[in-house]
Amino acid sequence: MRTKTAIRRDSGDNARTDDRKTATITRRAAMAMSALGIVALGRGTALAASPDGQLTWAVHVSLAPTWFDPAETPGIITPFMIMYAMHDAMVKPMPGNAAEPCLAEGWKAAPDGLSYEFKVRAGAKFHNGDPVTAEDVKFSFERYRGTSSTMIKGRVKAVETPDAKTVRFVLKEPWPDFLTFYSSATGAGWIVPKKYVEKVGDEEFKKAPVGAGPYRFVSFTPGVELVMEAFDGYWRKKPTVKRLVFRVVPEEGTRLAALKRDEVDIAYSIRGELAEELRKTPGLTLKSVVIQAPFWLYFADQWDPKSPWHDQRVREAARMAIDYKAVSEALTLGYSPVTNSIIPDNFEFYWQPPAAVYNPAKAKELLAAAGHGRGFDAGDYYCDTSYANIAEAVINYLQEAGIRIRMRPLERAAFFSSYSQKKLKNVIQGASGAFGNAATRLEAFAVKGGAYAYGNYPDIDELFAKQGTELDVKKRTELLYRIQQIIHERSVYAPIWQLAFLNGVGKRVGESGLGLIKGHAYSAPYEDVTLKK
Amino acid sequence: MKQYIIRRTGYSLLSLFLLSLTIFLFVRVTGDPTALLLEPGASADDMANLRRQFGLDQPIWLQYWLFVKSFLTGDLGLSFYYRTPVFDLYLERLPNSLLLAAVAMILSLVIGIPSGVLAAVRVGGFWDSAGKLFTLLGLSLPSFFVGLVLILVFTVYLGWLPSSGAGTPWHVVMPAFTLGWYFAAAHMRLTRSSMLEVLGSEYVKLARLKGLPEAMVIGKHAFKNALIPVITLAGINLVVMINVAVVVETVFAWPGIGRLLYEGITFRDFPIVQAVVVLGGSMIIVVNLLVDILYAVIDPRIRLES
Repeated sequence: MRTKTAIRRDSGDNARTDDRKTATITRRAAMAMSALGIVALGRGTALAASPDGQLTWAVHVSLAPTWFDPAETPGIITPFMIMYAMHDAMVKPMPGNAAEPCLAEGWKAAPDGLSYEFKVRAGAKFHNGDPVTAEDVKFSFERYRGTSSTMIKGRVKAVETPDAKTVRFVLKEPWPDFLTFYSSATGAGWIVPKKYVEKVGDEEFKKAPVGAGPYRFVSFTPGVELVMEAFDGYWRKKPTVKRLVFRVVPEEGTRLAALKRDEVDIAYSIRGELAEELRKTPGLTLKSVVIQAPFWLYFADQWDPKSPWHDQRVREAARMAIDYKAVSEALTLGYSPVTNSIIPDNFEFYWQPPAAVYNPAKAKELLAAAGHGRGFDAGDYYCDTSYANIAEAVINYLQEAGIRIRMRPLERAAFFSSYSQKKLKNVIQGASGAFGNAATRLEAFAVKGGAYAYGNYPDIDELFAKQGTELDVKKRTELLYRIQQIIHERSVYAPIWQLAFLNGVGKRVGESGLGLIKGHAYSAPYEDVTLKK
Repeated sequence: MKQYIIRRTGYSLLSLFLLSLTIFLFVRVTGDPTALLLEPGASADDMANLRRQFGLDQPIWLQYWLFVKSFLTGDLGLSFYYRTPVFDLYLERLPNSLLLAAVAMILSLVIGIPSGVLAAVRVGGFWDSAGKLFTLLGLSLPSFFVGLVLILVFTVYLGWLPSSGAGTPWHVVMPAFTLGWYFAAAHMRLTRSSMLEVLGSEYVKLARLKGLPEAMVIGKHAFKNALIPVITLAGINLVVMINVAVVVETVFAWPGIGRLLYEGITFRDFPIVQAVVVLGGSMIIVVNLLVDILYAVIDPRIRLES
């Protein structure tokens, strides 16, 4: 298919030259080529057509050079937009698989859960031609200093490299989440070339990064654009698009205009009315990607016996008073699914709760039963200003049920810092897009000492402690399911939705890569991205 | 005169010191930048690590001292977000801002001065009313609105101009017009009032009494004198334009200093915000100092009064 495209695209002199060349091919040569073709099929893509063309993204955030160095990966989803192109990991989420062996051919965990042994993929190489070795894997892990680095390194006793292709992580004690953290919750499993990094130093590495991903770095202008080019030696697949350009366009309306005029091929993050406009524009496609970012209401005062929120009936009433589907319809054209959970549905150990119920009459009944027949003053409703539109919709429903609450929007950083410092009160509209699994998410938001947990339930803490050392996956799953069930039953949270990230895709794009990896917000894997033929 | 210059320079340095202290404190009052760089759920260890890397774990007075010390040696610090020297980022963006400001300034003068003259000459007439309407729109329409309308018309409907970015002369047209729009109105208003004042002066009346043709009275005698305050304002506006194009540069994704400031604010990147504000403020302080000195050279009464 790819060869055909290349021939069709050639025109004029080039095409004629090709014809002449074709005429001189002898039968023997043709047979030899067929034989090579069979070999090529066996080897993957050695004879695939050369990458061609350019795809341009209009990106909503400024790209940071720290995203070029896996060692500094913050625990947010955005850097993976670039990491998937420039670098590769031992194990990473891929289409249809949350933990697919990539630079690792495979691994085995010791039965006692105390070590994990990885085999480095034969033939995998960096953009400078150096092969990926066990030393690079060890080096990348040891130099990792991004999110959760203290925690992950604290649990690893040693990284051994018995031979050039084998790496063994020896743990201090069994840790069932090792692979989750190594593959997706951190950047510790993303591999950089030891020799090159040692030669140029950390700062130079960010200026001229060398990775083992499908695209190699060409140029970067901070705040303006990043350019990458296809790397022919990528082990998984030869990319079909030659050049990727990521242009920073902060204004949403401008991104849509650029897409309409074919200045860019994919525009990230188009919301509300503009998304409707995008959907109506002929030739453009609205592509929604449900990301691993649930939004919720958190009743921060539920542990205070003097607060109305202490009464479970009041919390339940608040849950039932909101028409989540209507909110999703109004703000994200219905693309954000109402999952009724604070755990993303693609996470390991996710428990499927019953569907969310919208029943304003029942909500009023519950409030009356709790002694608030005429409603009550519910205090403040804190939210991040960038998502104040959700707050406005939710507050309307709460007011209708008699829950009189004031919106207190805070600028994003101030909001999250106050949230984590436990300074907020009453009701908090929170969200998280961090990687991990149900256990990591619960640890931060529902367990004693959690970064965003304002109180705790002893039975939840007990179950959580048990699952932390449970190596039997089935038993561990049961424990984590039970915690999620308790959270649901007690209305600790009122989950709103799992956010759908809406994007625009232009006419020239074949495969946008959007939505291929479950929960991932951006185009990936890039070697699967294509231009229309 | 020497004493006057020393005193004025002293005031300027004091202004610069107060500006640096104010912006230093203001950015810190807004909160913790690590909350923006890490997701909710990040561990306390991760946040503490990041704060340590940025030097935010140091006492505030020490942070300020380090900021001033490095600033004086030409080191504007390392951006939290880009992890690149802020000085490099600034120098990279400066030419784009200069280009944008220069084109916007030319546009604003080309539109503002003739329309101001016309309004003053035809005071109370159609051109004066049209000029007043233009001034009203120019000074009251927010630049993001003007910018988006231009994109809608010239990019989406007509397809004539690129929506965003930089690189070709076409890229500068819409951002320059949007930036120059406000200043064109300001220049028009000042030209009009300045022209009216000059046209009412004794020497213009005398010129008319002498029987000079009206075109010569307006063009040669009135216009040249009316232009002095406009050019003075334009000089200061040019410096302002370089530094205040935050909204315009954001709407058009124009890679200038304004965008850099926007990015600094968005990511709570203290070194960027501090550097852009202090350098921008320095430019304005220096221009004002030069203007003051120049005035004092021209008019000795000024230095005596002060």
